[in-house]
Amino acid sequence: MIPAPVRYARATDIDDALALLAEPDAKALAGGQSLLPVMKLRIARPSLVVDISRLDLQGVDVRGGELHIGPLTTWDDLLRAEELRRPALSAMAECAEGIGDLQVRNRGTVGGSLAHADPASDMPAVLLALGAAVSLHSPNGDRVVRLADFFIGPFMTALLAQELITDVVVPLPKPGSGSAYVSVEHPASGFALAGAAASVGPDGERVAVTGIAGRPFLVSDHDDPVGGTDVFGDRFAPADYRRRLAIVLVERALERAAAHTAEDW
Amino acid sequence: MSEALIGVARPRIDAPDKVTGATRFAADGYVHGLLHARPILSTEPHARIRQVDREAALSVPGVVAVLVAADLPMATSGTDRTAEPLAREEVVFAGQPVALVVAETEAAAEDGAEAVVVEYESLPAVVGLEDAMVPGAPLARLVEEDEGGGDLESIHAGVDEGEQDADEEQLSGNVLDTVNRRSGNAAAALEASDVVLSGTFRTPWVYQAYIEPQVATAWLEPSGTLVVSTSTQGSFVTRSELARAFGLPLERIRVIAEPLGGAFGGKFALIEPLAAGAALALRRPVRLVLTRGDDFQATNPVSAQVTDLRVGARKDGTFTGIEARMLVDRGSNAGWGVEGITSLLVAGPYRWDAHDLRGYGVQTNRFPFGAYRAPGAPTAAFALESLLDELAVALDLDPIEMRLRNAVVEGDVGVSGNPFPTIGAVEVLERLREHSLWRDRESLPAGEGVGMAAGYWPGGNEPAAAVCRVDADGTMTVVTSAADMSGVNTGFAVIAAAAFGLEPEKVRVVSADTATGPYAGASGGSKVTYTVGKAVEGAARAARVKVLAAASQELEIAPDDLEVIDGVVRAVGAPDRSITVEELARKALRFGGRYEPIEGHGGSAQTVGAPSVAAHLSHVRVDRETGEVELLRHVIAQDVGRALNPALVEGQMRGGATQGMGWALFEQLDHDESGQLLTGSFLDYSIPVADRVPEIDTLIVEVPAPDGPFGAKGIGEAPVVAAAPAIVNAVAAATGTRMRELPLTPPHVWAALAESKPEDDL
Repeated sequence: MIPAPVRYARATDIDDALALLAEPDAKALAGGQSLLPVMKLRIARPSLVVDISRLDLQGVDVRGGELHIGPLTTWDDLLRAEELRRPALSAMAECAEGIGDLQVRNRGTVGGSLAHADPASDMPAVLLALGAAVSLHSPNGDRVVRLADFFIGPFMTALLAQELITDVVVPLPKPGSGSAYVSVEHPASGFALAGAAASVGPDGERVAVTGIAGRPFLVSDHDDPVGGTDVFGDRFAPADYRRRLAIVLVERALERAAAHTAEDW
Repeated sequence: MSEALIGVARPRIDAPDKVTGATRFAADGYVHGLLHARPILSTEPHARIRQVDREAALSVPGVVAVLVAADLPMATSGTDRTAEPLAREEVVFAGQPVALVVAETEAAAEDGAEAVVVEYESLPAVVGLEDAMVPGAPLARLVEEDEGGGDLESIHAGVDEGEQDADEEQLSGNVLDTVNRRSGNAAAALEASDVVLSGTFRTPWVYQAYIEPQVATAWLEPSGTLVVSTSTQGSFVTRSELARAFGLPLERIRVIAEPLGGAFGGKFALIEPLAAGAALALRRPVRLVLTRGDDFQATNPVSAQVTDLRVGARKDGTFTGIEARMLVDRGSNAGWGVEGITSLLVAGPYRWDAHDLRGYGVQTNRFPFGAYRAPGAPTAAFALESLLDELAVALDLDPIEMRLRNAVVEGDVGVSGNPFPTIGAVEVLERLREHSLWRDRESLPAGEGVGMAAGYWPGGNEPAAAVCRVDADGTMTVVTSAADMSGVNTGFAVIAAAAFGLEPEKVRVVSADTATGPYAGASGGSKVTYTVGKAVEGAARAARVKVLAAASQELEIAPDDLEVIDGVVRAVGAPDRSITVEELARKALRFGGRYEPIEGHGGSAQTVGAPSVAAHLSHVRVDRETGEVELLRHVIAQDVGRALNPALVEGQMRGGATQGMGWALFEQLDHDESGQLLTGSFLDYSIPVADRVPEIDTLIVEVPAPDGPFGAKGIGEAPVVAAAPAIVNAVAAATGTRMRELPLTPPHVWAALAESKPEDDL
C-alpha cells in the first residue's frame, strides 16, 4: 500500500499545469480519490504527479442562465451550494450526498470524477440528464464538449493528454422543472449497479443511465431505456439484473423528478 | 462479598485508551533495529514452485533478504501454516505465502516485493466443494500431510467428534474426515411423521473482517529467547505452535498478546511462525504487518458449507427425526474442520426421537479454514431454522409455540449423547414471544415481514488460573493471560471486586504474557468469562482470606466475624470496629511487616459446559423490483446466565446480531472457477455498516450457570448463531419466497422472486 517512487509538482496556474503534463507519464491530481488508491496498489505508476488542487477552479455560481461548477469543487462544496437549492437541480444534491463517505466528499472533486470516467460513477448520469457540457483548455486552445460526447468508454474520455477541464456548465432548466437521481448501489463499493437520472419540465424530459454499460448514456426511448445497449454483468450482478434494474430505476427517476416539479424552493 | 456490584452497567475499562488513541496495538511498538517484511503471495491456486528469482529484489536499496521456505529454520515437516509458513514446493491456494521480502523500511520492502518473480508449474485446482468430493477428482494437495498438527479445534468448543463413519460411500481423497452422529432409526422416524420437509442450504466463505489486520513482530533476546509480540487471541497456544514450528523448548519462547483490534476467531497463531522464522533466520527483529489485501487473501476465513437437511414432525408439532448431510469446505486446512461442531449444532436446542447427522470435511484449493464467531453454528442454524419455519407453516402452528414444544431442558440427552446442562431455551423463547413486534406481526404493510429463529452455542471449558494482588494504596491488580476480547477484562474487574469486597474502580486488570502470567487458554469458544472469570473469583476470594487474617489480628476479632465491604474490613454487626484494606496492605507490604501480602491465586477446571441460547426477531421490507432487503428492526433475546455488566452483555448481543446480518445479506468471499479470489477488498466484500443496521432491542434472560462466576456464562458466540435465519424467515414472510443460499444480495433476491412469480408481477 505504498506507491512506487514518483515525482511531485504543484502547478501554479493552468498553463503551468499543462506544461508539466507534457511529460508522457504525468498524471493530474485533483482530490486524489481515484488516482491515489490505484497508485497505492501500484496499478497506476505515473512518473510525475501534477497537483492541480490549488488552481483557482473551485466554486459554484449562476450567470447567464447557466450553472457553472468549477471542476475542483468538492462534493461537499457542491452539497453546500445555495445555487443547487432548486427543484430543477435536486438530482445533483440527491446524487452528491450518496457519494462515498464524508472524507471522500471532502476531497473528491466534480472534475476529477468526470475525467476519471468510472462507468459506475453516479454524477455523470445526473449531468447528462441536465444537458451539461465541459469547457476544456489545452495548449491548442479552448473548446466546449457536450457531456454526451465526452464519455467514450470505461475510464476513457475525449480529454487529450495535455488538456484540463476548466468549467462544468449546466443550462438552468425553466421554472417548473424537476430532476431526480435514483440508484441501487453495490453494497460494498457504493458504486451504482445501476443508476438513473431524470430531468423533466417545460423543456421536455431527459433521462440518463449509469452503471450498466461501458459509459453513462442518454436514454433515447424512455419505454425501452436499455435498448440495444451492451449491458455489463459480473458474478455479483449479472447483466439481466442490471438491465431490469435500469428499466425500474428510469421509471422511478421520472416519477420522482415529476414530483419535484411541484416543489417551490 | 458484595454481590450488589454484579449486574450494574459500567463502561469498559479499556474504552478511554481506545477512544483517545492511547492504546498501543501490535504494530505500534518501537523495536530497535526493526526490519519490515512483505509477503509474496501465490498467484496460483494449485501449482509447483519452479523457482523464486530473488536477484532483482535483492538489488533494491534497503532490501536485506528475500526468504523462501528453505531459509526458515523449521523443525517439522507438516503442511499446516505453523509447519510451513512459506510454501515449500507446492502451493495449494492463491494467496499462500511463497516468499518474504525483508527490508530496512516498509517502502523498500514493497519495492523489493514488486521485483520478486516466482515461476510456477500449474496443477489442476479443485475449487468446487461438491466437485472435490467426487471419486477421481484432482487432489487439492499432492504432498502427503503428516500427522501431528496443532490442536486448535479444542479451543472453540467442547465438542466430541462423533463416531468415525463406517459408511462405504465412494469419496475422493479430498474428503479428509467424516463424522456420523446417529441414534435411533431416523429414516423410520421420518417415514412415520405426519410432515417431512427437506432442503439444500448453501453458505459461502465468510471473512472475520476485524479492523486490525494480522500483525506480528519477532525478535531474539541476547539470551536467545524468542519473543513474539502479536495480535492474537491466545498467547499460550501461539507459544506451543512456535515451539512445534522451530523445535524450541517452551521456556525459550515468550509470547506477548498485545491489545486486540478485533479477531472474532481469526487470530490463533497464523502469521507468527512466519515473522518468527524470519527473525530466527536473520537474527534481527522482523515485523510483518498484513495489508488488508494480504489479509483477505492469505488468512483463514470460515468455511463454505452445503447442508442437505430433512426434518419430520407429528401433527401436534412434536419433532420426530432429523437427517443431515453437511459438506464443509476446509480449503487448504488439512488439520481440522467444523464438520464435528456443525453436525452437532444442526439439531438445534431441540429434542428429536432419532437422528442421523453426517459431516464431511473436504479440502479444496482455497484459503485454510479458520474459526469465525461460533464456527459451524450460523450455517447449521440457517438450515434448521429455515426448515422449522416452513414446518410451522405446514402444520399451521405458531413458530415459537412449535419450538417451545420441542425445546430442550436440563437433562435431555442431546445428539452429542450427553445430557444438556442447565439451558435457557424455554425461557428465551417465552421472552421473545412477549415482544410487540411478534404479537403485531400479522398487521404489517405489503412488502414487510417478521421472522424468528433460535440457536445456541455449547460453550467451552479449559482450566485457567488468575492472580489478585492488593497494593499499598488499597487498589487491586488482577493478572490473567487471557487476551482482552469483547470486554472480558472489564468483567474480571467486577468479579474480583465483588468476590473480594472492593469498589470496581479500584481494580485494574493486566493481560500478562507467557513469561509472567498464570495459565489461560485462548480467548475463544465463549469460555473466558466462564473459566478465567471463575479463576479470578477464586483468586479474589483467596486474597480476601489474607486480608481477613491480617484484619483479625489488628482488630482481635475472629475472621468469620468480619466482612469486607467497599475496601473496609469490619466486624459483622459492629461496623465501627473496622480497618481499611489500604491500611492492612501498607502494614503488610513493608520491611519488617507482619502479614502476608494480600494476594490470592485462583484456578478453575469446570467439566460441565454452559450453553447459551439466543433467539431473534427480524423485521424487513423487501423491494420486489430491485431485490433490496431493508432491515427495519431486530430483536434478540439471550440467556446470559448472569449479566455481570449489562452494558457489555448488550454490546455482545448487538455485535453478534449485526454479524448475523452480514451472514444474511452481505458477506461472501467468492472465487472464480479457476480459484482466484474475486472479493479481495472492501470494495467487493461488504459487511454490515452503521447505516444498514437497524435498531436492535436486547432482551437479557438470566438462567444462572451453576459453575460460572456469579452464575455468568460465555455469551459471545450465541448471538450470531440464529440471526441470519430470522432475517431469511422475515424475507419469506414478506414475499412468500424462501431463499436457501446466503447471502441475500439484491440480484439474488430479485432472481429468486422472479423465478417464483409470473413475469407480469415484477
